[in-house]
Amino acid sequence: MTQTLPDTSKWPFQSVLVANRGEIAVRVLRTVQKLGLKGIVVYHAADRGTAAVKMADQAIEITGSTPVASYLDGAQIIAAAKASGAGAIHPGYGFLSENKGFCAAVEAAGIRFIGPTPEQIDLMGDKVRARNFVEKAGFPVAPSAIEDDDPQTFVERSRKVGAPLLIKPSAGGGGKGMRIVRDLAILEQEIERGRSEGQRYFGDGRLYCERYIENPRHIEVQVLGDGQGSVVHVFERECSVQRRFQKIVEETPSPALDAALREKICETAAGIARSLNYRNAGTVEFIFGQGGEFYFLEMNTRLQVEHPVTEEITGIDLVLQQLRVAAGEKLGYGQADVKSSGHSIEFRIYAEDAARGYTPTTGPILVLHPPQGEGVRWDSGVLQGGEVTSAFDPMIAKLIIRGKDRTEAIARADKALRETVLLGCKTNTAFLRRLLQHPAFVAGDVHTGFLDANPQIAAEPEMPAETLQALLGAAALSTRPMRDVADAVPDMHAAMGGWRN
Amino acid sequence: MHHAFKLGDNEHNLELSRSASAYRLHLGEQVVDVDLKTGADGRAWLTLGERHIEVVIATRGDDVFVHLDGEAYQLRYQHPLDRLAAQAGGSAEDNIRAPMPGSIVAVQVKAGDTVTKGQTLLVMESMKMETTIAAPRDGTVAAVTYEKGQTFDRDALLLSLEPNK
Repeated sequence: MTQTLPDTSKWPFQSVLVANRGEIAVRVLRTVQKLGLKGIVVYHAADRGTAAVKMADQAIEITGSTPVASYLDGAQIIAAAKASGAGAIHPGYGFLSENKGFCAAVEAAGIRFIGPTPEQIDLMGDKVRARNFVEKAGFPVAPSAIEDDDPQTFVERSRKVGAPLLIKPSAGGGGKGMRIVRDLAILEQEIERGRSEGQRYFGDGRLYCERYIENPRHIEVQVLGDGQGSVVHVFERECSVQRRFQKIVEETPSPALDAALREKICETAAGIARSLNYRNAGTVEFIFGQGGEFYFLEMNTRLQVEHPVTEEITGIDLVLQQLRVAAGEKLGYGQADVKSSGHSIEFRIYAEDAARGYTPTTGPILVLHPPQGEGVRWDSGVLQGGEVTSAFDPMIAKLIIRGKDRTEAIARADKALRETVLLGCKTNTAFLRRLLQHPAFVAGDVHTGFLDANPQIAAEPEMPAETLQALLGAAALSTRPMRDVADAVPDMHAAMGGWRN
Repeated sequence: MHHAFKLGDNEHNLELSRSASAYRLHLGEQVVDVDLKTGADGRAWLTLGERHIEVVIATRGDDVFVHLDGEAYQLRYQHPLDRLAAQAGGSAEDNIRAPMPGSIVAVQVKAGDTVTKGQTLLVMESMKMETTIAAPRDGTVAAVTYEKGQTFDRDALLLSLEPNK
C-alpha cells in the first residue's frame, strides 16, 4: 500500500504532545512533523539534551520524585498540554499508554487521546477480563485458573491446570512478577512471591495461572482499527528471542508460519479486534506451540516497540494511521490493500552486559556512529555526548533491517551491527552478532527459552591473543601517563632498542 | 614503573617505550612495534607490528574505550599507586559492591550490627527484579552507604564490614 499524506487542515488538532521519551518520542515526532503538525514533548531534567527534546517544536519540562515518576504524572502532563495548546496527546508505549484513567482525563480535558477508548484499555488491561472476553468471542485461550473466580480455591484450581504452569499478576505486563512452576510442591510458595511482586509493581496482588507451553514461540499480530467498523491486520511479528521475558529481536514474517497458518493467526487477531470495534493501532499477542497450536495471550492497546518491522515490509506508517484514526478519519482501505514484501528484523540495542546475566550498564555516550546503508534504519533517542543512566529502561536504540528475504536481512544486520560504534557504555551489539550467527537463529528455529537454553551465546568468547595485543596497544598509546614515561626516555636510548626499566 | 590495564576481570601488565620511529609495546617477553594515528572523526589507525587496524578510540578519565573489528571494549588504566594501596588494603570481602545498577528496596542492618554469613543485609532492585545481598562472612557492619529508595551504579560500594582482626 502506498501512502499519500492526508490533508490535516481539517483535523480537530494541529499540534500533538508526546507524553514519552527516548526513541519512541523521536519516532512519533517524526511523523507529526512530517504532517506539518506542531510536535510538543514533555521531558524530565534527566532527558534534557536528548534527541526528542532537540527535535520537538516545543519542549516542556516536567518534574517528579524520580525521573520515571514525572512521566507517570498524568495531571502534570495534561497541564503541559493545555499550556502549550496541544490538541492531542500521543502516549507512546509504556508509561501512561495503557492507563485508562489518563486516557479518560485527557479526553475530559478536551484533548484527543491518540489511542483506544478508555473502555478498550480497561478491558484489555485486565488480563483476566481480556481472556474471558476473547474466550467468549470464540477465540482460543490456554487452560488456566483465575484467582478472582473464587479466591478460596485458587491454589487447588491452579494445581489442576497442571505443571508446568505460569503464574502471572492479573494487572501485569512486560514479564514483571511472572513465575514458572515446574514442581507443584512449591506452588503455594511461588504464588505468594508472585503476589508480593504484583502488589509492588502494580499495586494489585491478584494472580492467575495458566498452562505453560514448553518451548513456545511468541507470535503477535499488528492490527489497525478506526472505531467506526473497520479493522485490518498488518501481519504478524515473531518475537521469540527473549531474555527474562523481554523481547530482544523481532521479525516479520515469522519463520514458523506457512501461508495457511499465517492467514489463520492474522485473521484470529483481526477477529478479536473486530469484536471490540477497536480504535487505534494494537497488537494481539499469541503463544504458539511447537505443534502449530496457538492461544491468545494478551492485547496491547498501543504502539509496540517493535512496530517498525511491520512498517518496513508493508510501507505503512503506523503512527500516521494512529493520528488519522484519532482525528476521526476512517481507515479507508480493506484487508486486500494491505500487502507485504521482503523481510525485516529489529534488534534492540540495550545498554547491558549479556555475559553478566544481561545486567544493565550505564555510562556516557562518548562516540556514536549509527550504522548506515541500504535497508538499515536506526531508531534512537540518544545522541553522542549524551549519557545512559539507571533512571530509565536500558534500551537505547533499535536497529531495524530490511532485506528481500530473511537471508539478506541477516547478512545486512551482521554488517550493520559490526559498523555500529558506541563507546562509553557497554552494549549488547557483540552479543546480537553472536546470536544472529547461531545456527538455530539462522534456521529460524527459536523459542522463548532459547537464550536460557544456550547461555554460551551470552558468554564472552575467549579473546584471541592478537585482539588483546591490539587493545593493549591502543590503550597504552591513548593513556597520557604511559606516553609521558615512554617519551621521557631520550631517543638515543630508544634507538638502541630493547630498553627495559 | 609498572603499568597495567584492567580488561574485564583480568589485569594485564605492560610497558611502553620509544622506538626510533614510534613506540614499542612490552607484554611480558613480547615486544611489538606500535603506533597510533588519529583522524578527525575519532577513527584511528593502529599499527601493530606489520598490521594496520582501523579503530575508534575514546577516553574518559582512566577509561579507554576501543571499537575494534566490530566490537567495543573498555580498558581501565590502573594507577601504580592505587595498585600498591590495594595490595596493602583490606580484602575484597570487606566491601560489598553493587553487582548491577539499581535501587535499594530494603536495608536490613545498620552500622555496628553483628552479622553472620548468609544473613540478608540489603535487598536491591534492578531490571524489575529483586536481588538479596547477603553477608559474605561473619562480621560487623562498618557502614551502609545507601538508604531505601536511593539509586546507585554498578560497582558502587553498598556496604562495608569491619576488617577481620
